[in-house]
Amino acid sequence: MTGFLALEMRRSLRDARYLIIAVAMPIGLYLLFTGLFGAHGQRAQGLPQPVELMIAMIAYGAMWAVFSATGPRIAHERTIGWTRQLRVTPLSPAAALSGKLLTALAAALPAMALVALTAVVSHHVHLSATQWLALFAAMWAGVVPLALLGLAIGYLAGDEIAFPLTMALYFALGALGGLWIPLSVMPHVMQGLAQSLPSNGVAELGWRIAGGQAPVPKAVLVLTVWLLGSAAAALLAYRRRGTRSAH
Amino acid sequence: MASGRTDSISAPQLTPGPAQTAGEDRPAVWAAGLAKSYGSTVALAGLDLHVAAGETVALLGPNGAGKTTTIGLLVGLLTPGGGQVQVYGQSPSQAVADGLVGAMLQDAGLMPGVRVGELLAMVRGLYPGPLPLDELADIAGLGPLLGRRADRLSGGQAQRVRFAAAIAGDPLLLVLDEPTAAMDVQARRNFWEQIHAFAGRGRTELFATHYLHEADDAADRVIVIAGGRKIADGTPAAIKANFGDRQVRFTLRHGSPALLAALDGVRAVDQDGARVTLHSGDPDATVSSLVRSELRWSGLEVGGPDLETSFLRLLAGQS
Repeated sequence: MTGFLALEMRRSLRDARYLIIAVAMPIGLYLLFTGLFGAHGQRAQGLPQPVELMIAMIAYGAMWAVFSATGPRIAHERTIGWTRQLRVTPLSPAAALSGKLLTALAAALPAMALVALTAVVSHHVHLSATQWLALFAAMWAGVVPLALLGLAIGYLAGDEIAFPLTMALYFALGALGGLWIPLSVMPHVMQGLAQSLPSNGVAELGWRIAGGQAPVPKAVLVLTVWLLGSAAAALLAYRRRGTRSAH
Repeated sequence: MASGRTDSISAPQLTPGPAQTAGEDRPAVWAAGLAKSYGSTVALAGLDLHVAAGETVALLGPNGAGKTTTIGLLVGLLTPGGGQVQVYGQSPSQAVADGLVGAMLQDAGLMPGVRVGELLAMVRGLYPGPLPLDELADIAGLGPLLGRRADRLSGGQAQRVRFAAAIAGDPLLLVLDEPTAAMDVQARRNFWEQIHAFAGRGRTELFATHYLHEADDAADRVIVIAGGRKIADGTPAAIKANFGDRQVRFTLRHGSPALLAALDGVRAVDQDGARVTLHSGDPDATVSSLVRSELRWSGLEVGGPDLETSFLRLLAGQS
């Protein structure tokens, strides 16, 4: 199990799709947005621009990290028969499934940390050690529902559509969840939708912690509902496809 | 070609032993009345199977005979619709979980994005007593492949790596589903040498094939299945005598067709105008007696064994 996990993680770090979209893109967007909107203005959350955008991009990068390590990859492995081959080794299906989840979560950490590092270096973002710790812990836990959603897609979708599907979901959750545009400039209806999305929930946890506040119960509730829903979806998808042969 | 392998074959045990038999006598594979259907399609219709530890057994049959289904059931990828199956006295899933089984499946792939060496090291780590990596690379003839990306191999190279992955755990039972399907003659020969190098270490092997000559060359015992049933079980020589009919074809120029059936070794005669096809268990004897006969003929051809025809004849004889 540990060898399997280690190899899966090593493999994630070499994946070009992960490196470009989950690591390089949020850093680039962070530098672009702070440049465009000015580093000094305050946005709706009451946080300095560089802090608010940092948290949005941490959420954004973490989201693609867990998606790229699950949906498209699992769908591809099912198609080429690696899933079947692994099934005839002593690795239990439960270990294979949890290995995928842990790998996805591990892949989120470098993506999150590098955005934070960029913010610290380029805009001298300053948070207390406790805040950094709480921020990372809360946001990391917050992407668990997204990782489970990725697992469900991986076991349900075919190889052809898994990548465009996760990609579309990633952009939709990013744009509609207020990671690109602040919620305050959205129409009222859109704000309500945004607050029910897990992408916004993850960022909301970060914004609150960086602002020195406790996370809003609403964001926690939204993420919990998404966690239960996507866990159920992942389990059903896995039982439907993951344990059976291709025939 | 099977140097180092004993060719003396004990009479196959055809009666399934009790599942509880413990210790050395415990069969590698024991199945009784194994059945499996996909919707209304019956893939297996009550198969009995008994493979003693240390045997090399071929599962021979035409496409659609139920070979892949049988193997899926033996490695726990499928659950039987009826009957029982045990591998070393345990359920197939348990035997796989305990690392007793290695399998080379027909449509299985390799982990993408990693090197062959990394992949095999990981697979070895899943088993309690794996083969040392250098021995593994040696048996499977990997050598320079270890540093290559597993998803950038040619078909033949990938096949070797898949074989290596199947034996990485040094399993007691190695199951192979038409392992040489995509190989050329030379690759096929090398491959069987590698299999025998592994099996020579006292391992049990069960492989599916639709080539009679492959079953003949590589197996101690051949089980013939067709239509989801076992239709024969015996030594390669016995199976070949029953199923290895060859075709002696020629154009009959002069003489009575009634004489054809009396030629040595002839089991059946087909005639299409003047073109004659003799189904012979011994083509040498058939041709010799043809030459000695008063028949006039031209355009002689001797064809290889035609399994499909043999299966059809045998199935027709059974029903």
